Amino acid sequence: MEIKKKYVEVLKQQIEKAYDTQHEKIVEISNMFGKCMSNNGVVQLFGIDHDEEFVNELNYRAGGIAPFHAIKIKDLTLRGGVKVADVESGSIYLPENVAKTADALMGLYELDDRDMYVLVSTKGNDPLVLELAKRVKANNQKLVAVVNKASYDACGGTLLDYADIWLDMCSPEPDVALNLNGVKIGQTSSTVANVIAQMLTAETYRYFIEKEGKAPVLFSANIKGADVHNNALTDPYGRRIR
Amino acid sequence: MVVAKTYKDEIIKLIDELYESQNDNIEAAAKMMVKAIMNNGVIHVFGSGHSVGLGIDISNRLGSLVPIHIMDTADFVYRGGVSIEEFTDKVNIFERRPNMAGRLYNLYDIRENDVFIVISNSGINGVVIDVAALAKENGHKVCVITSMKHTTVEDSRHPSGKKLYMFGDVVIDNCGPHGDALLPTNGPEKVTSVSSICNNVVAQTMAARIVELLKEEKVELPILTEDEERNQKIRKYYGGRI
Repeated sequence: MEIKKKYVEVLKQQIEKAYDTQHEKIVEISNMFGKCMSNNGVVQLFGIDHDEEFVNELNYRAGGIAPFHAIKIKDLTLRGGVKVADVESGSIYLPENVAKTADALMGLYELDDRDMYVLVSTKGNDPLVLELAKRVKANNQKLVAVVNKASYDACGGTLLDYADIWLDMCSPEPDVALNLNGVKIGQTSSTVANVIAQMLTAETYRYFIEKEGKAPVLFSANIKGADVHNNALTDPYGRRIR
Repeated sequence: MVVAKTYKDEIIKLIDELYESQNDNIEAAAKMMVKAIMNNGVIHVFGSGHSVGLGIDISNRLGSLVPIHIMDTADFVYRGGVSIEEFTDKVNIFERRPNMAGRLYNLYDIRENDVFIVISNSGINGVVIDVAALAKENGHKVCVITSMKHTTVEDSRHPSGKKLYMFGDVVIDNCGPHGDALLPTNGPEKVTSVSSICNNVVAQTMAARIVELLKEEKVELPILTEDEERNQKIRKYYGGRI
């Protein structure tokens, strides 16, 4: 089979598997999102490097639900006074430094006790993600974890110990879809995770329509009139979501 | 009805449509990239907003191509003399502005045989159009990834009135709908989006084909493997260019 076609076929199989095995939990988590947002809470999102793709897929997205907020490593360097070199060297992620990093990061935002959290970590073993998980649970807030279970098991992840509920990216470990005579290429986990994020969006919309008859849906910022519509949804939250 | 299953079914259909309709364009882009890599070139990837995901998805993982450089809009702030207030201005939105891109472009080590991938769902904003225009002016090949359904119905925000796709030597349509949102509802809004997923499919299939073609040319594959020592050597070879 032609290689591009082969990649597409593997990806589609994994998306089907993600739907088959995760959709009941996707409904349950979407109901948690809806309840949190109806109570003026915001769903806080966090992931590092490739795991940020999932975060971006829910945060301020065309056709997405408004009350999400992304906690971003980049904000540490853009606004938090942390040096780019300390991010690139990985020193902010070292176990001995994550408490300080978490303080700096969480200090940048208006976080609220009504909020809940989604923490994304393919392997479930990032010390900084685990530090945030501990804080969320110590504060009795709901926590959803997103991991790639095959990678999690292979790498000794512990994130699920803190999660109220979790989702699986349903990709293999290592995350490669193709094997060209021993050369491993073609990742799928982030794309499957993006599909999961979109299924969460669909079900959260369904929750709002069932409970409230309307839903806070954002428009693409690149169509005429969208800015007015989107600002009307986000302005009431002030700095909590933008 | 908007539920997880509707989204899953629709995105699978769209991925098939994307493969069927864009395979030839992706093939042409892959050949263009192979030519560049064989002539010691690197691939510069630029997208703003949610379009940053494409470059991230095909970088820094097992099986990823090494000669990829992500042009990061945050560099405007780190090194390009743009203040954080200007960068995050919610009224005069940064990514829409013309005549800013040179400050980013000139920060990087861009060499003769390098090629560009420029991604924008709408293809109407100032910064992406200027990056593509600068690359063309400097004699580089440009691959554009955009939504033709979106870009053809919105007005350009660039003073030239041009759209991003007009600068592409190869243009790949991500096949997403106008406004990026996918599922119709009973109200005026559409919910969930597709561009990040479709862009990842384009990037992953293109990257896989690039590796396959390089393998046929029997060159040393510039990809990340499980051999960390080898990986470091390849990264060192490209040095500050990536």
